[in-house]
Amino acid sequence: MSSDNHDGGDSNLPDLGDAIDIVTFSQILEMDDSEDDREFSQSIVFGFFEQAEETFEKMDEALEAKNLDELSKLGHFLKGSSATLGLTKVKDSCEKIQRYGKKENEDGTPETDEELCLSRVTETMKSLRTEYSEAETTLRKFFNTPAV
Amino acid sequence: MPEGDMAVAQGSSNNSSDFVRKLYKMLEDPNYSEVVRWGDGGDSFVVLENEKFTKTILPKHFKHSNFASFVRQLNKYDFHKVRQSEENGQSPYGKEAWEFKHPAFRADAKNNLDNIRRKAPAPRKNQATEDQFSSNTQIAALSETLAATQQQVQALQDSYFEMAHANKVFVDEIMHLQKMIKAQNSVNNELVNHLGKIDHERRHARATSNHSNQFNGNNIMSDGTEEPPVELRRARDILNSVSGDHIPEKDLRQMSIQFQQIGASPDSASSSSMMGPPGSAGMQNNYIHDPMNDLRHMVYPVGQTIGIDPFAAEHMGNIPYNRPLSQNNMGPGQGPGAVPEPGPAAMPTASPPVGAPGAQSTSPWGQKKPRVLLVEDDKICSRIGSKFLAQYDCGVEVARDGLEAVQKINANPSWFDLIFMDIVMPHLDGVSATAMIREVSPRVPIIAMTSNINQQDLEMYFHWGMRDVLAKPFTKEGMIGKLKKHLPSFLRNPPQEPVMDQMYSNGGTGQPPTPGPFANPNMSLPMSAASSGPIAKFETTPVQSPSTSTSWHSPAQLPHASPNMGQDQGGYLTAGSGGPMAMTPGGTQRPQQYAGGMIPAMSAQQMGHMPDDGPLRNDSVSMVPDPKGLG
Repeated sequence: MSSDNHDGGDSNLPDLGDAIDIVTFSQILEMDDSEDDREFSQSIVFGFFEQAEETFEKMDEALEAKNLDELSKLGHFLKGSSATLGLTKVKDSCEKIQRYGKKENEDGTPETDEELCLSRVTETMKSLRTEYSEAETTLRKFFNTPAV
Repeated sequence: MPEGDMAVAQGSSNNSSDFVRKLYKMLEDPNYSEVVRWGDGGDSFVVLENEKFTKTILPKHFKHSNFASFVRQLNKYDFHKVRQSEENGQSPYGKEAWEFKHPAFRADAKNNLDNIRRKAPAPRKNQATEDQFSSNTQIAALSETLAATQQQVQALQDSYFEMAHANKVFVDEIMHLQKMIKAQNSVNNELVNHLGKIDHERRHARATSNHSNQFNGNNIMSDGTEEPPVELRRARDILNSVSGDHIPEKDLRQMSIQFQQIGASPDSASSSSMMGPPGSAGMQNNYIHDPMNDLRHMVYPVGQTIGIDPFAAEHMGNIPYNRPLSQNNMGPGQGPGAVPEPGPAAMPTASPPVGAPGAQSTSPWGQKKPRVLLVEDDKICSRIGSKFLAQYDCGVEVARDGLEAVQKINANPSWFDLIFMDIVMPHLDGVSATAMIREVSPRVPIIAMTSNINQQDLEMYFHWGMRDVLAKPFTKEGMIGKLKKHLPSFLRNPPQEPVMDQMYSNGGTGQPPTPGPFANPNMSLPMSAASSGPIAKFETTPVQSPSTSTSWHSPAQLPHASPNMGQDQGGYLTAGSGGPMAMTPGGTQRPQQYAGGMIPAMSAQQMGHMPDDGPLRNDSVSMVPDPKGLG
């Protein structure tokens, strides 16, 4: 069973490499009934897409409102699910946003300059989006459902 | 300790010879010579009149009137009572006299008094610590016993509750079946009537159109009315013979009404929508054997340290019956043919799989599967987490924030065996929720799930009653590891070392398990509605404990740990746990399980996607082909 892939999984998997931690992600895949039926993992991943998009919107709003606290919360929120799926880069960026939002530097030391924090969040959100869409593309390809 | 003694002791603590000086001074007073005086040799002193001495002299010099204390004090300073002379058995000073002696205490050696010191307190202290030690052990033993008893009571409560619930479900189910039967009866009646009519019309038509044929029929009565065909008559007879309310039914209705009144029962609601029973026969079997469980609870003390493991494989193998764990299928998929699943919450508990021989090979758990509450606001995480848990054959329920978790626990404090608790959540954070839960449920292990694991956070978590921390993002291994660590008694093959500490560290110390899960067990309306409503997921993974022949129990055949996951997945569990609510045709599967002893084995092989090693091992490799293929 592990030797033959009917769904061409092995041609898709290499692409997951960089953006997605395969060990973590394969835990989700294991939960599927079979590799022909990725209903569970797919619904999880697509659920994550929705969640991420929503969170991005909220982040934009919070950024506009200069609401660092909210940004930190949103960062924390998305950090959890992205980490659970193994989207390492996305997770790292979320963590940074969480920190900056808490008025901390990347190493956890306090940072009093709110404007600096906000600009850091802005920067991090740019890379977050890039990382996210990279992961999204990869995953959609994996599930054979390219974004429309 | 008499106060006086204390006073003396304190008084002498500053100056070790204070007592001795007082003593000497007292003896210097010639007024006392009738009562107390130096001995004839000047190397001892004599209390001649005990009573007088105690009442008049002691209070003046030692501020108390307790002769025993005085003697004790003397002993502390190493004075000894002089024995009465051996010759005549009498003290030279009289029968009632007490003579005390200390080598350095002499009438002519006042400056020697400083050499009389209080004896080192060491021996006495030792005594004390020994006492303390032994009483500590006693206390420890007692509290262990208490903890075990508590555990036992808890278990009894649980099983009582489970049975009550099971009962209710039965009643609901039976009521429903009866309704169905009645409906079918009337359908049958209608059909029979209809057929009769058609038959009649047909014959009539024939008769009118062709008189010559009328005598062919043997069912035209002499008076010219037609007799219905034999089949129809028979059908009617049968219907008539079974109709009519019989008494048990009334009782049942009564019970059902009572249940409805007690509480609300989303269960009954759902169960009434259940379809009838391919598997009902099997189910009843299951329940009938509930008492066995309870007996076992009673017979064996609960707790790992006991040495007898009631759930050991040998026992399990000898149990003639077992039942599959029910799976909670209350979801949308309920359709005809579905196994009539008892209430969402009810069944999973009501039927801990009596570790069937078959189950041995598949479930990591022993007689009873743990019920886990996963408190997590993030949908992704909670779905994945509950899937992990469900695949590891746990009953899983999800709360979306601390508030919901607290509500669930309040509704039935002893329901869950373990809680995974996210920290940062809306409405009520995990730490606060834990603190609140601790008020009603001091023992349940609560495990923080968080990515904030600095020392300070950890301390706070533990301070508020969390027992452990699972780092986020959690992995299946991590989660399962915590389960095993904190629920060793649930494991089919529990670790040998005593686990009391773990088990009781929080509550065993003194807090009794919250009493009364009955008071408002799931029966309290709002709560139970909440818990079974939105989260239809009490998906206890059915343990495939297909009943199997006893021949299949040898643990040796399938060593410990559970190939279960694969089987779960492939078996009938899929639906319950996973894709939300999709229904595996569990209904048809379950009865099959009863059919043959070898089914579990076969299905394990057929399903085959899980080698039969511990689920913790290598699954990522063995179960997921893709990653492996690519390295």
